Amino acid sequence: MLVLSRKINQSIMIGDDVRIVIVAVDRDQVKLGIEAPRSVPVHRSEVYEEIRRANQEAISAPVATPAGKADRATLRPRK
Amino acid sequence: MTEQKNTLDLPRFGECTFADSDVIEFPWGLPGFATLRRWLPLNVESHPSFIWLQSLDDPAVALPTADPWLIFEDYDPKLPAYAFTSLEIREASDFTTLCVVVVTKNAEEMTMNLMAPIVVNLRSRKGRQIMLDNVSYSAREPIPRKIPASSKTA
Repeated sequence: MLVLSRKINQSIMIGDDVRIVIVAVDRDQVKLGIEAPRSVPVHRSEVYEEIRRANQEAISAPVATPAGKADRATLRPRK
Repeated sequence: MTEQKNTLDLPRFGECTFADSDVIEFPWGLPGFATLRRWLPLNVESHPSFIWLQSLDDPAVALPTADPWLIFEDYDPKLPAYAFTSLEIREASDFTTLCVVVVTKNAEEMTMNLMAPIVVNLRSRKGRQIMLDNVSYSAREPIPRKIPASSKTA
């Protein structure tokens, strides 16, 4: 992992269009400002982890093998 | 023109035939399945409410999902901007929304992930699991025991 030291109001660039600014530091808490294009999702890691765990559980859950033939599902927009 | 058909023997569903145009591509993977990019939506006759996303890259992986509005009529996900831009969707007719269903170990409770719906562009067949900015929705919302067999009465 790359480790960089920054002071308040200093920033780092990730690629050409993501900037992370150190906004404030208070004991063990750091406030970050994130500037990223609208196409880039930004989340707290815990949220991503929660989704990842739920997905993993969904595939390993003991759902009985569904009876009947599996067919291609037709996907439709919400009415 | 008749499209080329593919046949697979799947661990969970047995033999299954599909066309390339049935496949949904997840260019960004899915949380927990970052490297699995090609998925096939499947219906099983006896469980019409579920849409299984079957991985074509790892046949052992099948993700149960369902239309959230079959169960939660008031569900109102506000998709963040990155969903619209990355999937190139503009209006409601462009896409479909599916939510992952988790069945607990003893199979007594089912939950639905309303926090991170899977959105699929129906024209490009590209999909992405979208994390809603508004986290008032749970990733494990309990589903009432009985799922309606078909769509709600309009």
